[in-house]
Amino acid sequence: MPLVFVLAVVVISRLTDGYFYGILGSVVAVVGVNYVFTYPYFRLGFTPTGYPLTFVIMLAVSVLVCALTTQIKQQEQVTLDMEREKMRGNLLRAVSHDIRTPLTSIVGSASAILESGDALDSGQIRALLKDIQTEAQWLTRIVENILSITRMNNADTELQTSEELAEEIVGSAAVKFRKRYPDAAVAVQVPAEALLVPMDPVLIEQVLVNLLDNAYIHGKKPSQIRIDVTARPGEARFCVEDNGAGIDPGVLPHLFDGTLPLKESDSDSRSSMRIGLSVCMSISRRTTAA
Amino acid sequence: MEVRDRVLVVEDDSSITNLMKTVLRANNYEVLTASTGAEAISLITSHCPDLVILDLGLPDMDGVSVLQQVRTWSAMPILVVSARTHERDKVEALDLGADDYIAKPFGTPELLARIRAALRHYRLRTGAGSSPQGDFFQTGALRIDYARHRVYVDGRDAGLTQNEFRIVAMLGRHAGRVITYDSIIREIWGPGAQRDNKILRVNMANIRRKIEKNPAQPEYICTETGVGYLMADGDSL
Repeated sequence: MPLVFVLAVVVISRLTDGYFYGILGSVVAVVGVNYVFTYPYFRLGFTPTGYPLTFVIMLAVSVLVCALTTQIKQQEQVTLDMEREKMRGNLLRAVSHDIRTPLTSIVGSASAILESGDALDSGQIRALLKDIQTEAQWLTRIVENILSITRMNNADTELQTSEELAEEIVGSAAVKFRKRYPDAAVAVQVPAEALLVPMDPVLIEQVLVNLLDNAYIHGKKPSQIRIDVTARPGEARFCVEDNGAGIDPGVLPHLFDGTLPLKESDSDSRSSMRIGLSVCMSISRRTTAA
Repeated sequence: MEVRDRVLVVEDDSSITNLMKTVLRANNYEVLTASTGAEAISLITSHCPDLVILDLGLPDMDGVSVLQQVRTWSAMPILVVSARTHERDKVEALDLGADDYIAKPFGTPELLARIRAALRHYRLRTGAGSSPQGDFFQTGALRIDYARHRVYVDGRDAGLTQNEFRIVAMLGRHAGRVITYDSIIREIWGPGAQRDNKILRVNMANIRRKIEKNPAQPEYICTETGVGYLMADGDSL
């Protein structure tokens, strides 16, 4: 029967952090064993025989299990940190590539206008200025994505979820997207009854905007993009679909991890939008974990 | 002689100050500039600008405290411009009495539209210039009749409930401005109301179903995600 106390000590040590509760548990167990199972029964009596041994065994059990528990927990933390570190590394690589190309174009166009502006006609200057504007807007979007990442990483303790209307988030994502690409056709479909979903609205909006961007750019300007929201028991499903060029099955495994290899045809900076989808993935993972 | 609106630009970055000065002058505004909070406050008291464009990140003090100080004695339109993108900062600035909030980077058409909207609302509010609306507010096919407590879409009564009408009326009175969730909740359900957004969301969902063709693609009441709602007034971007 004293084994019950040993079991209790093991369980306490396993389920708590650090050594304090484990050792406390073993002390309580020693007193308990002493009270119940040693002579005189149901009285505390500290006879020297056997008692030090019980105490040492209990203590040893609790310290060992505490040590093991702590080790396991540390290992879990290390794995988590490594995964996060890997994700961050991938994102950084994607970001620095995605940033460098538009910057090159901006710096180049600006110096062309400054240095050889006299040799250019006004149409050429306008075209260069237009490029600068487009590329700068593209950079803005990248920065928004980076901000989402920092927001998420800071939110380790407080991912701010609130009950939001699905239609509002989808609607404002569509508005942002339409502002960017006025000629794109986006149809939005939401359930007839209002659907409240707990989420961090800003991050989910970012996911939707990235998916729309991606559908438009990589679908090679599809004639139709749809966002569908459907309510199912226990979940709300957000679907972004396009009827564009489709995705090469070969890239599917790497689609979301930011490690998509550059292809020969990726001469245009906007066709290598790798950061967008990896941000989608990190946000979705983070949201599911919370 | 034409009277030009005087705009004070409070911004510590000289290239942005230059940009705004150029754009505003080209659009027929008189421009003053200040690069610190102290300078801004002294210019506001001495020159009475018609509108202040205030950057929140100033070298000598937080832009928010400039906003608070000015609000103790003046209701002049203040447009907050900031590189801070967290919704909390937007909400704080709006709740402290900023008329509008633009996040950097912004386009010049957007800046000009916001300036026009802020000036127009200020004049409506203070009664300077004639109020074109009286007891009505009209945007697109939406018409708010304040006297009868009714909202009409295409001439048909939308059948809003009391609280729904009060929300729409409040947004209509401040059309073109983002009204934070909290200030709507305070106004409609009183200061003791829970800061729970849910009841507001549900009301908004019902309103949109009554006045919008597609609630996910609203024409009249737009959502500023994480901040609040805004009634479109035809000029805001």
